[in-house]
Amino acid sequence: MIAGTVYGVVLNDRTERETLAGTFGAPPYKAPPKAPVLYIKSRNTFNVSGAPVALPSGLREVEAAATLGLLFGRDAAKCDAASALGYVAAACLALDVCEPQENYYRPAVRQRCRDGFLPLGEFAPFDPALLNGEIVTAVDGKEAHRWNLSRLARDAATLIADITDFMTLSAGDLLLIGLPHDAPRVKAGQRVTVTSAELPALETVFVREDAI
Amino acid sequence: MKRARIAHDGAVVWAEAVENETALRLPNGQRIAATDALFLPPVTPGAAIFALGLNYADHRAELGFKAKEPPLVFLKGQNTLVGHRGATPRPADGNQMHPECELVAIIGTPARHVAVESALSHVAGYTIACDYAIREYLENYYRPNLRVKNRDATTPLGPFVVDAADIGDPQNLKIVTRVNGDVVQQGTTADMVQGVAELIAYLSGFMTLMPGDMILTGTPEGVHFCAAGDRVECEIESIGVLENRLVAAS
Repeated sequence: MIAGTVYGVVLNDRTERETLAGTFGAPPYKAPPKAPVLYIKSRNTFNVSGAPVALPSGLREVEAAATLGLLFGRDAAKCDAASALGYVAAACLALDVCEPQENYYRPAVRQRCRDGFLPLGEFAPFDPALLNGEIVTAVDGKEAHRWNLSRLARDAATLIADITDFMTLSAGDLLLIGLPHDAPRVKAGQRVTVTSAELPALETVFVREDAI
Repeated sequence: MKRARIAHDGAVVWAEAVENETALRLPNGQRIAATDALFLPPVTPGAAIFALGLNYADHRAELGFKAKEPPLVFLKGQNTLVGHRGATPRPADGNQMHPECELVAIIGTPARHVAVESALSHVAGYTIACDYAIREYLENYYRPNLRVKNRDATTPLGPFVVDAADIGDPQNLKIVTRVNGDVVQQGTTADMVQGVAELIAYLSGFMTLMPGDMILTGTPEGVHFCAAGDRVECEIESIGVLENRLVAAS
């Protein structure tokens, strides 16, 4: 499904940055973040819309953060914001599932990289208009969250430029462009649907691991 | 058996080291001199790459860390890999760029909820990584952050994958790093805080490890800052010597 690496970015929600601004100067951070704060979703997390997400025993609830994934069609290295979107070939809705985190000091591999913790919707050709859209998350059929991508601290083009300043985003890589800090929390038994105006919808159901 | 992944006649092939590693036997039986081979990182495309921070008691002390905590695990993209005798960019402002020689365990069979006692049966083989770090770029968000640890071609890997059966105990191997011939790191895998078996047990406790996935198990003490033009060799007993050179970059 994904040939390359899936990268995501935290602290790219302007409202979250405003909320946390007072803590950035204190330990353990000691300074506000400069470069984009990236993470990797390993291949065991890849999941498809329609398949369930299993919650391990001991994990009562998880954050289900709906976002937009951009699939690269060409290698992007040291590109500027004006050209950045030209490297993107396709887009999909993504539901980045994560065990709620206390802080951002250490990489959250255990929290973010459980099996199946990245359901992805079907890909559609990339259209820059997608970047002005809203992403809606419904839990058990009822709207639980809505966010506009104008909330991103770094918009997609700036984000790609700032990432490729120090590493290549390769053809086949997927970039999740940011997570809403107020993403809904869900439990086993709940059904989550992610929609936006232009992209194929994503749907999954959360189940207990021992139920599969 | 020792196997290398090389580019040959326009294709990527795995070749077997023969004649005391001076030659490589290709899948079609042809032999080429090892000096003529174009070594690629010995990796399965798509594999997850795990790396460990602070996993040697001496290196933890050197960096000022104390208590035993859960393993500090981070992930790397395949853009970071570069083959034996390859070049790694050394940024002009990366004056605190240092090599980190690491034993790499390569998973051979799916591993989920594996006990420490049986964990090594899931290892197909071992290789060597040099997991460069550039300390100027450290930030305290998801540290070690990707600007430090996910740069292109900053993780030389190879030259060979050695079958696990030929290694036996992975926790008793000497590690040496040389820069321009001078020893800058010297240690043994016996000093790992969490050994290969413990790391597989830990990771497989919350995710499924698949064949080809790699675990870079951390590095012993010895922080030596490098310059463009430096020749770096990472050697691990019974596995080989991984050569790399640093080239100036902007």
